[in-house]
Order: sequence, then structure tokens, then C-alpha cells
Amino acid sequence: MALVLVGINHHTAPVDLRERVDFSAHGVPDALRALAARGSTRETVIVSTCNRAEIYAVCEDEPATRADLERFMSEFNEVAATELAPHLYSLVDLEAARHLFRVAGGLDSLVAGEPQILGQVKDAHNLAGEANTVGPVLNRVFHSSFAVGKRVRTETGLGAGAVSVGYAAVALARKIFGDLAGMSVVVVGAGEMGKLTALHMKSQGVQHVTIVSRTMAHAARTAEAIGGASAAPWDDMEAAIGASDIVITATGAAAPVLTKARVESIMRPRRNRPLFIIDIAMPRDVEPEAGEIEQVFLYNIDDLQATVRENLARRASEVTRAESIVGEEVEKFGAWLRARGAIPTVVALRQRFESIRRAELERLEFKLSALPPDARARVDEITHLIVEKLLLTPTEQLKSVSDADTVGAYSEALTRLFGLGDEEAETRGRKVEPFRRNKPR
Amino acid sequence: MNLVPLILYGGALVAYAAHFARRTPALGRAATTMLVAAALAHTFVIGMMTMETGNVPVNGATSAITTFVWLLALAYLYTEMTTDERAMGVFIMPLLVGLQAIPALRPIEDRAPVLQGPLFGVHVSSLLFAYASFALACVIGITYVLLFTEIKAKHLGFFYARLPSLQVLDRMNHRAIVIGWVFLTVGILAGAVWAAQARTGYGAGDPRVQAMSLLDPKIFVALVCWAVYSFELFAARRIGWGGRRSAYLSALGFGIVLLNFVPISYFLTRSHNF
Repeated sequence: MALVLVGINHHTAPVDLRERVDFSAHGVPDALRALAARGSTRETVIVSTCNRAEIYAVCEDEPATRADLERFMSEFNEVAATELAPHLYSLVDLEAARHLFRVAGGLDSLVAGEPQILGQVKDAHNLAGEANTVGPVLNRVFHSSFAVGKRVRTETGLGAGAVSVGYAAVALARKIFGDLAGMSVVVVGAGEMGKLTALHMKSQGVQHVTIVSRTMAHAARTAEAIGGASAAPWDDMEAAIGASDIVITATGAAAPVLTKARVESIMRPRRNRPLFIIDIAMPRDVEPEAGEIEQVFLYNIDDLQATVRENLARRASEVTRAESIVGEEVEKFGAWLRARGAIPTVVALRQRFESIRRAELERLEFKLSALPPDARARVDEITHLIVEKLLLTPTEQLKSVSDADTVGAYSEALTRLFGLGDEEAETRGRKVEPFRRNKPR
Repeated sequence: MNLVPLILYGGALVAYAAHFARRTPALGRAATTMLVAAALAHTFVIGMMTMETGNVPVNGATSAITTFVWLLALAYLYTEMTTDERAMGVFIMPLLVGLQAIPALRPIEDRAPVLQGPLFGVHVSSLLFAYASFALACVIGITYVLLFTEIKAKHLGFFYARLPSLQVLDRMNHRAIVIGWVFLTVGILAGAVWAAQARTGYGAGDPRVQAMSLLDPKIFVALVCWAVYSFELFAARRIGWGGRRSAYLSALGFGIVLLNFVPISYFLTRSHNF
């Protein structure tokens, strides 16, 4: 039994190839079914996002399955095998598990600690569950990966801090206002940058967006493009800002549009209400001195980029902690996988004991038939309990050892001692005297 | 007897500090559990003292302090549970530990016979409740200033990652001040009426009751306190003061409260040394 991973990701393949090898575009359930129909795998999960396409499979014949998965990837996505081959990677057993854990923990993402990937891994596992292609091994390895994702998020700072200017601005706004719902935003300037930032704010729950521009027609057009936004003439800028909570300035003006004096006059009737000004224009639209006013929080594009850089540096320092979590979980999974090697022996041992019990009961049938039915039931129960008790310790011992050598040695010894998988021994067993207990209990 | 809650508060302080530094949910739960244990033990202690003396321990400065610490712990726990915000704990705990050390080391006073009547109960319990609110407001104000400074300085670091938003802190501060002010007013009025009654009634022969005037340090400082908090509320409503100014006023107000509560009670007052 082996765990195999075949895939491509943003490290190994360019974006145009990743776009073509996209299982979610063709339907992951279809792919899972098609793969199951090929018969080379016992369990499969397909993780498909814009940055990666990976097939996790459990199989018997590892090299053959690997080759088959690679063929399937090119056939299903209709990409020539020769084109795909140089970008593919494939990993086996613990290395495959380690890869999945790193993916779920956000360590393999474009931006380390990116939070969406864990949800995507969970979705992949759910889809495979619905398609009935998940078994005990993939269940275990995926649940371990969820645990890694959760631990990385709660025990390290890998996912903390915004890593894009837009998110940094939103995070700051949240730290000032708490909830963005019900906040209103004024965008000064109808350019592309202002529009994008406004769209971002809107997607974060801001209630109202007003566009102010020197040319009313531009403002109206941008407001329409954003959807649900309104436009205001240039002369109404102070009134519009006065009624808002967040101001984004992005004009092409050569001199500051908002001087300190102007901001002061805007702030006076607002009393204590905070105003968050984001100046993303180059050259600046807002006099830096305006940030000295109480309850005015002025950030320009450089300030935001500086916080992003700080966050990225902080994340990088958390990578080692996250990697050690991955390492711990790989070790746990490895122990589980090795212990699974003992399962066939455990099953065979149980079958052997049970068959001996049945044989003996059959042999003694002529004596037992004289007993009343409830006494016979008691005999059945007692013999069953004896077998269970005898098996309890060996079973636990077998399941708890976690290195492959010991598992092998134990299995070997048990197979020989009890003649497991040996038909002859089973018939011989009928002649063995019933097991006698030495100590009465 | 007051030593057991003190030790538990100390443990809670350590746990809250560890939680603040590391931010792991398990440490946060441990801190809250520790504080709940401390508050329960303290409840038991207060209950025992009540049974011993026949009334809630508010008969002198030391007993009032232990009751105040108990109220503050409960008020903080209530705030933590309603806002789901543990960051403030690390600022409250030192106050609890520091104040609780006094009743843990000093004997609890017996009740002076002159302290009686329903108004006396209203006076003391209202004031203790007001002080607990002001303590919370002060701590919230301090955290507001810390976060405000970080955001203004464009250096988003330690407190930025740990504290709730400025708006939330400002609102919590304001609410605590309003509640505290109402109880402070009720407490002072009840005290004044009680003193007026006692002066001619059951306190006629007691020099302490006779010393109750606006010039007594304890009473005077309490009125200063009332003026500070009244101004804070007035400024918030009329001049639009809030945020950092409110935070500073809250800290100033509570500083005066503490002054009144510990050194003045023990060393200066001639009217309130029961």
C-alpha cells in the first residue's frame, strides 16, 4: 500500500499551463469518477485551485499508479503528455503527506500563510467524500492536514498581518472603526487606482461610496462602474468628506488638494469623529501635516507599503515554527501508517481464534445440546469473552508499535506461531484440546 | 483569609500576561478560568466576613478595599464575557493584586456602632460600584492611548495586533464612565443625607461624624472626582471631546479615586477612619 501524489503548482508550472490543467473547470467529481474507473487506485482526492492541481491517491502498485496518474492528468485535461511532463512532480508516502500538510498550512502558497487554501483543501476532501473515493488512509491524511492548517493559524503568526496594500488599508480601517458596515467612503479623483481601492472597500462591507472629481462626468462614470456609488461635484468635496469616515485621495494634481487648514476646517464640525485618510496619489494629495490633527489618521501609499513589508518579514520569521508543526504531524501520520501494517495480522489472528472457538463448540455440540437454551447462550458468551480477553493485549501491542521493523517481526512471529494463513493448521486446530485456564478468576 | 484570593489573582495576572504575549487560545482560557477561581474564592471570603460581622465588609478602609477588588473582578469578568475581549485583563490584574495585598496583610475592621441605616449601605455600595466602573474606564482609556499612539506613529506592532478597535475602546470607556458617574452621584448624595441625619441622631457623640464636612480631605477629594467625571461627560456631549482626551480624563479621575481610596483613607481623613 502506498500514498502517491502527482501534481503541478505555481512553483513548477507557468500560469498558462496551470490554466489548462484545471480540474475544477472540467468538474472535479467527473475527474474523480473517471479516475476510479481506471482501477489503478483505491482512494483518490483531487486538490484543484488556481495555483495547483494535485491528485492524492492510495494504491498497491506505486510505480504503475504514478505513471497512470500522469497519463490521466494529460488525458483528462487534454494537454500533451510531453508538454506536461517537465512540470509534474510526484511524491510518495510521507513526502506526499508532508507536501499536503505544507499546502494546508499555507506554506506552499504564493504568499505564505494565505488563509483560503485550507478551505480549498477541505472542499477537495468533501468532493471526494461525496464521490465515494476516500478511504481510511486519505481520510486520515486529510484530517491531519486540517489539523496542521488550524495549528499554524492559532500557534504561529504565519497568517497574521495584511500582505497587500488594499488589505492593509482595510485592516487599518477596522482597527480604527471596528466594523466597516455602515461606514461611508469618499474617493477623491476618478482614476483607476481610486476606483480599485473603492471596489475593495465595498467588497469589505462599506455602506456608501461617493466619487468626487474635477470633471463631474468622470465621477459619474466611475460611480456607475463601481455600482451603488454616487458622484459629487468638486466644489462639494468638503461637505462630502465631512459626512464620511474614510477618504481615499488619488488625483493627478501637482499640489496637495487637502491642506492641513482645509482638513482642520472639515474636522471642526465633526468634533470627535475619526477620519481615516488614505493618500495613494503620487505626488501627494494631502499635506503630511494634516496627520497631526487629533482624530485624523493619515496614511499614504508608502506607509501602507511599509506595514506590508513589516508583515511579510514577520510572516517569514514564523515559517520555521510552521514547518516544525508540519514535521510533528508527518511523524504522527508515519506512526499511524506503520501501525496500519499490522492490521492484516490482527485480522488473521482474530479469525484464527474465532474459528477455533466455533470448531470446539461444534465438536462439543452433543454435550451442549443437553443444556437448556439460556445455558447454551451463556457458554457461547463465555467462550467469546475468553477469546476477546486473550486477544486484547496482543492487538493493543501490535497497534501501538510504530516502527516498521518491529511490526514486521511481530507479524512474522504471530504468523508462524499461530500458523496464520495456513489452511492445514486450521484443521489441525480441531484436534487441539480446549484452552485451559491456569488460574481461576 | 484574604490571602487565598490574592494568590489566585496573582496566578491570573501571570496567565493574562502570558496570554497577552503569546495569544494562544488555551492560555486565554486558562487565564479566565484562573480569574473565575479567584473571584469564587473571593466570594467565599466575602461571604464568610459577612457572616462574621453580620453585614457586607464595608466598615472601614481595609474591608472596603477587599469588597472593591471583588466587585472589580466581577465587573471585569462581565466585560470580558460580553465583549469576548481578553486583552484588557493584563492591565486590570495588577490593580487587583496590588489592592488585594492590603486586606491580605492588614486586619479587617469591626463595625463601628454608628455605621447603620439603609442609607449607609447605599452610600458604600454605590461608591464601590462607581469606583470599579472608573477602574475599568481607566484601563480601557490607557489601552486606547496605546493603540492610538501606534496607529498615529504608523508603527503597527504589539498593541495593534492585540487590542480591539479604537471605536470599540472609546465606546466602552464612555459607557463605563456613565455608569460610574450615576453611582458616584447616588453614593455621594446618600452619604450627605446620612451624615446630616447622623449628626443629630445616632452619631451625635461621634467625633468622626461631626468631622464630616466639605473640608474633610476624603469628602473634598470625592467631590473633585465627581467634578472631573462630570466634566468628562459634559465635554463629550457638548464640546465633542472623546478619544484620547476622554482617555486621559478617565485615567486622571481614577488616579484621584485611588488617592482617595488608599492614602487618604488611612492617613488623612478625620471623618472616614472607621
